[in-house]
Amino acid sequence: MREAIAGKLVGSSVKRVEDPRLLTGNGRYVGDVSPDGVTHAAFVRSPLPHAHIRSVDTSRATAMPGVLAVLTGADMVELTNPFLSFFFLDGLYTPLYWALATDRVRMVGDPVAIVVAESRYLAEDAAQLVEVDYDPIEPVATMEQAADPASEPIWPGAGGNVLYEGIDTFGDVDAVFASADRVIRERFDSHRQSNQPMETRGSIAEIDREAGELIFHSATQSSHVLKWTLAMVTGKQPVWRSLRDLAGQRDKLKRFAVAAKEFATTNKAELDKGSANNAVMAKQMLKEPSRIVHLARSMLGLLAKDSSRIPEVQADDIGGAFGVKGAVGREDAALCAAALHLGRSVKWIEDRNEHLTIGGQARDESMDIEVAVNGDGEILGFRVNLTIDQGAYPTFPFGAPLFSQVMKTMMPGTYRLKAFQLDTRIVASNKANYVAYRGPWSIETWTRERMLDVVARELGITPTEIRLRNMYGRSELPAKMITGPTLDVRMSARDTLEKAIEIADLPAFEQQKEAARAEGRCLGIGFATFHEAAPGPPDFADTVLPGGGMLGSEPATTALNADGSVSVYTQQMPHGQGHETTFAQVAADELGVPIESVKVVFGNTRVTPFGIMGTGGSRASSMLGGAVTYSARDLRQQILDHASTLLEASVDDLEITDGQVHVRGVPAITVSLADVAADAGEPLRGTDTFDGGEGGWSQATHVCWVDVDLETGFVRIPRYVVVEDCGELINPAIVEGQVRGGVAQGIGAVLYEKATYDDQAQFQAGTFMDYLIPTSMEIPEIEIHHVETPSDVEANYRGVGEGGMLGAPPAITNAVEDALAHLGVRITEQHLPPTRILELAGVI
Amino acid sequence: MTTVERGGDLALALTVNGVEVAATVEVRRTLSDFLRDDLGLTGTHLGCEHGVCGACTVVLDGRPVRSCLLLAAQADGADVTTIEGMAEGDALHPIQQALHDAHGFQCAFCAPGFLLTALCLLETNPSPTRDEIREELSGNLCRCTGYASIIDGVEAAVALVKPPTPDEPHAPNEEDSDA
Repeated sequence: MREAIAGKLVGSSVKRVEDPRLLTGNGRYVGDVSPDGVTHAAFVRSPLPHAHIRSVDTSRATAMPGVLAVLTGADMVELTNPFLSFFFLDGLYTPLYWALATDRVRMVGDPVAIVVAESRYLAEDAAQLVEVDYDPIEPVATMEQAADPASEPIWPGAGGNVLYEGIDTFGDVDAVFASADRVIRERFDSHRQSNQPMETRGSIAEIDREAGELIFHSATQSSHVLKWTLAMVTGKQPVWRSLRDLAGQRDKLKRFAVAAKEFATTNKAELDKGSANNAVMAKQMLKEPSRIVHLARSMLGLLAKDSSRIPEVQADDIGGAFGVKGAVGREDAALCAAALHLGRSVKWIEDRNEHLTIGGQARDESMDIEVAVNGDGEILGFRVNLTIDQGAYPTFPFGAPLFSQVMKTMMPGTYRLKAFQLDTRIVASNKANYVAYRGPWSIETWTRERMLDVVARELGITPTEIRLRNMYGRSELPAKMITGPTLDVRMSARDTLEKAIEIADLPAFEQQKEAARAEGRCLGIGFATFHEAAPGPPDFADTVLPGGGMLGSEPATTALNADGSVSVYTQQMPHGQGHETTFAQVAADELGVPIESVKVVFGNTRVTPFGIMGTGGSRASSMLGGAVTYSARDLRQQILDHASTLLEASVDDLEITDGQVHVRGVPAITVSLADVAADAGEPLRGTDTFDGGEGGWSQATHVCWVDVDLETGFVRIPRYVVVEDCGELINPAIVEGQVRGGVAQGIGAVLYEKATYDDQAQFQAGTFMDYLIPTSMEIPEIEIHHVETPSDVEANYRGVGEGGMLGAPPAITNAVEDALAHLGVRITEQHLPPTRILELAGVI
Repeated sequence: MTTVERGGDLALALTVNGVEVAATVEVRRTLSDFLRDDLGLTGTHLGCEHGVCGACTVVLDGRPVRSCLLLAAQADGADVTTIEGMAEGDALHPIQQALHDAHGFQCAFCAPGFLLTALCLLETNPSPTRDEIREELSGNLCRCTGYASIIDGVEAAVALVKPPTPDEPHAPNEEDSDA
């Protein structure tokens, strides 16, 4: 572990300030929130994957004592605006849909009705009494069926189940492939997996009766997105009424016009980059003109809405998410609608069966890849066919369309390619929604790193040789990925690989492997190297979503309180990452105050700065780390300005130590920060934003050793090494926790977990006895080695949350193939439970 | 012996975190809902409600149990400890302190179950090996940490909790407690 720098908190494994609360049962997770008079909701869900709804009879449920209301899809159409999913991909079909199914169900677990009762017990009882008459439709259970033009369209407006097809080319693909000595092909399939945080989703729509306001408590990764989505979806009213309401709000309209003009001026460069998006959106509208009506009604309704009717979102402690709680749930909209309709607070905490069935699933992608390569191992280009099964409903606001663009951007990794082509296809099926799950673009890492081993084997060279032969070295930087983003001089993927090779001691392992083979045991080793945008340089955003850079920067406000303590306000939503500790470390160092006097404030949309990205995409450490640094510096300057008057000394001669301002070298004469706050009279606040700056890559090499038992098919992992570089470590213990947790999920994904469906799209893994989360017995000790590339960049922090899940699947599957290579086994699927190992090895 | 009173309700009396509690509950009410919603002890978390994840673990008459799988009625007459009863006042229990020192948890939704399982382990086996700790904790799921930090914490807790033996004068961590 890296040595802490004396006198600095950054770089030291400061113990978590969250712990005294969380380890004593005094946390406040969403399930712990129960406003006075709260009622409880349960959802009636479809048992069928695909069916028309003939009728819904709620009469018996409604008549049950203790039941307050039963609302159906028809009620949602009456009370709410639809979710208008969108993404700027030319030709993408993005359906609109309501919180509850209206005329058809599209997946097992699709919500059909919401039952509100005095207790959860009663709500669940009543949900059993709602009678839904279904007319089954042939389901779409696989991506092959989805691609079949004869399959029944899940979204009739799309005309089929292929929702997007696009081709992106970089370089002269045909010429490069024609010039290659060999073209090697393979197809890789990644199974459906699921985030499964220990806390499920859940929300409470609280009606504040006195104020008549809606406070929405939720376990969300992005409180502002949730707030504005709910504001847009709920409180439907006709366009004429919105126009009438607006007519009476001239001042507001003027303010809006000024703000819009300012936004357009400030973001002109990004808006110009994204100008093609307008045409894409116009085409999407014209394809389905009802979107225009709904969009106009939703936007005008939002604009006309009195500010007291815009929900306030409150998020407290969150029991994990890994991406799934960045989505706005349809259930959330139904809860709001029910609460506003009844004038009562309504609570819904998802149960595990619901969370497994429809809480959100991920992966379920395939890649056909062709690699153009010369006989000496020089890789010239990739030609790849990607299919993503996004399930039944698009995820709001970000899902498969966005992640497909990250896959496109990152597929070349840190290898020199002359050409790259990606054909992308996004399909719909009658399965649960495709959500972000830790490293949502990881299919590109897995395919590339798996394929490099295949190519090496074909050419008779080693997996490490092919990587070293093709990976950018430090002397070649800066360089550009063929897809566009810049690999700056800090990009150190090759350094992590070289160090990993040294640690692995391959000659010694080869001897162990042979000795083990003589005893009938199969040992293998696998490498995987990747870089990830954490958050990536500005040209990364330009490649993924032109014009998207304006969504990118992260705000922070650092404020001095009257008692001399400091509050850091952020729109980030920590859910296990320890932000209350790490960002207090950053602010405390910048200000010269003890960590105990800094409080990180998050979760309430009224007090935190606005931002639409929330926690995700490895943004926090880099972007918020920088924003906290700069906002604290701004505050420090204001503090010193006031103190210089109080101490009658020049600002340049002052310093802050242990929360006291004094003249440098004269520690006896001080003013406290409380004195400064009193002198200032009004609160001192430093505010800044940070976009992550240049560079912004995290990188790592994972090495996995496996011992495959051909009697049982069980894969043991005797050793696992991660060599990573995420810049300067703010809190090494927290970084290492993120790395280990990611690797553990990768091990689960490959060896245990699968969101299984049968051939009729019926979900088969509705409990933790079917969907196998690894326990302490399955996760090995994980060795972590840090590489820290020297840099004079300030706030040289980068995200580290996603990497474990990027590196582990290829390292493990490469190791398994290595262990079984003597049997001629090639691993082309990501899920390798014991039965599959035995099948591949020809044992069964 | 409990008796069912009118219409499926039932009177019970038990001790929770040292406090005697008398209540009337619906017979189908789970122990976890009783603790969380009726007694307001929300530190007991519900992760799966089918007995696999262990987040809802509480100590019932000295043994770790899944409060989601028990009915409140089954705790009649029992002595129950929840996470709220682990620390004494503001001072963390040594196991909590050791897990804090080890950066044991992340989102910590699973923490109450792990901490109470570890409490029961160290009461029945004060000197478990690392492998024994790993095995004992395997009935609790954590999705954030990969377990190593939790096992490290419980391993460190062994020294803090272990009673001194005659030939091993024990002064837990006095030397390095302020390090």
